[in-house]
Amino acid sequence: MNSPDDLESELRALGDALSTPDPRPSDVAHAVRARLEGPGTEPLTDGGRRRRHRWRWAGAGVAVIVAVLAGLTPQGQAAVGHILRFAGIEVHVDEQPGPLPSGVPSPLPGERRVTLDEARRTVRFPFSVPTVLGDPQDVRVSDGGRVVSLFWPGLRLDAYNGVLSPVWRKDLGGPFPEQVMIGGSEGWWISSPHQVTYLPYDGGEHTMPRRAEPTLIWQKGLVGYRLEGPANVAQARRIAESVR
Amino acid sequence: MLVTRYSAVAHRTAALLGAGDEAEDVVQDAFVKAFRFLSGFRRDAAFRPWLLRIVANETHNLTRSRGRRADLVLKIGVEPETRTPDDPEGVAIAGDRRTRLLDAVRALPERERQAVVCRYFLQLSEAETAEVLGWPLGSVKSRTFRGLAKLRKEVGHELS
Repeated sequence: MNSPDDLESELRALGDALSTPDPRPSDVAHAVRARLEGPGTEPLTDGGRRRRHRWRWAGAGVAVIVAVLAGLTPQGQAAVGHILRFAGIEVHVDEQPGPLPSGVPSPLPGERRVTLDEARRTVRFPFSVPTVLGDPQDVRVSDGGRVVSLFWPGLRLDAYNGVLSPVWRKDLGGPFPEQVMIGGSEGWWISSPHQVTYLPYDGGEHTMPRRAEPTLIWQKGLVGYRLEGPANVAQARRIAESVR
Repeated sequence: MLVTRYSAVAHRTAALLGAGDEAEDVVQDAFVKAFRFLSGFRRDAAFRPWLLRIVANETHNLTRSRGRRADLVLKIGVEPETRTPDDPEGVAIAGDRRTRLLDAVRALPERERQAVVCRYFLQLSEAETAEVLGWPLGSVKSRTFRGLAKLRKEVGHELS
């Protein structure tokens, strides 16, 4: 009686019989539009969740903003760009990006080689090393202790202080970064090579943009992390989740 | 508008993955996020799994913030129509079996339950399930398989 197909079709029928909330789509559309047009002022149906939500975001110091910029290409066609700000990284997505920079990347401002212990004493924030990778082969501290960079073969992990103002700018052509969960918090995976530029603390001369390999960005508390070079998002998450 | 098209499936996904009576909030959050990130992007074809992924993440955040496992608070809303009206006993037995099957789904380990919910309750393809839950395709296959095996053992062969 119970062949595998029986159970599968029984489950489908059970699913069909389950009642789930189904508010009128026009009401949902209205509520969503109101929230998109008036951030922070929208009427709330359930204060508890909204409040917790705001608290969570404010507490984490996360700023995720997407601005839409309309510009004109030489051909006179409208080009649309997007900016995603997250964890101290400003991601510019442009459907028609320029070529990636080549050549030897310049060091970050004030970059120097240190030991892991020296790095912990020098930088102004607590950072952790991914346990699955073991001790890094090379450690650099830059920009007066604002950034610590750890290196393993083919992998680079930058931990940096401050996630509210931009520390890095990334320019890419798409696909749009993929949202992933790192433990319980949000991160973004940039799956293709792109251009990265360091934005110095004193606002001075930017370092030259360089080519970056696929990168995962996330934050822990008020420390931002960018992990560059994993082969895929699964490996990136495995490494990121071992940062404790 | 995309909201109109995807509202029903988004609410269903949130509720069946455990958002309970906060499904409406979860869906609104997901749409707001999706539109903030998407505006201007012409990716209509890929929108559904992408949106459901955000719904799944938001539901995960919600159940995590409650500090407990995502409970499936579900009601069987439609009576089965597999028996004729003059067979009330048959209706009762079929209804009882459904309740037991639902209980068995609830009792599955979280990941197997998510796989079963996506594949059968939401009737997503294996590829869509992989995208929505953020798993490799192989994990979708193996967790679905293990979930089905447990359900088969649990609700067994003694009925129907």
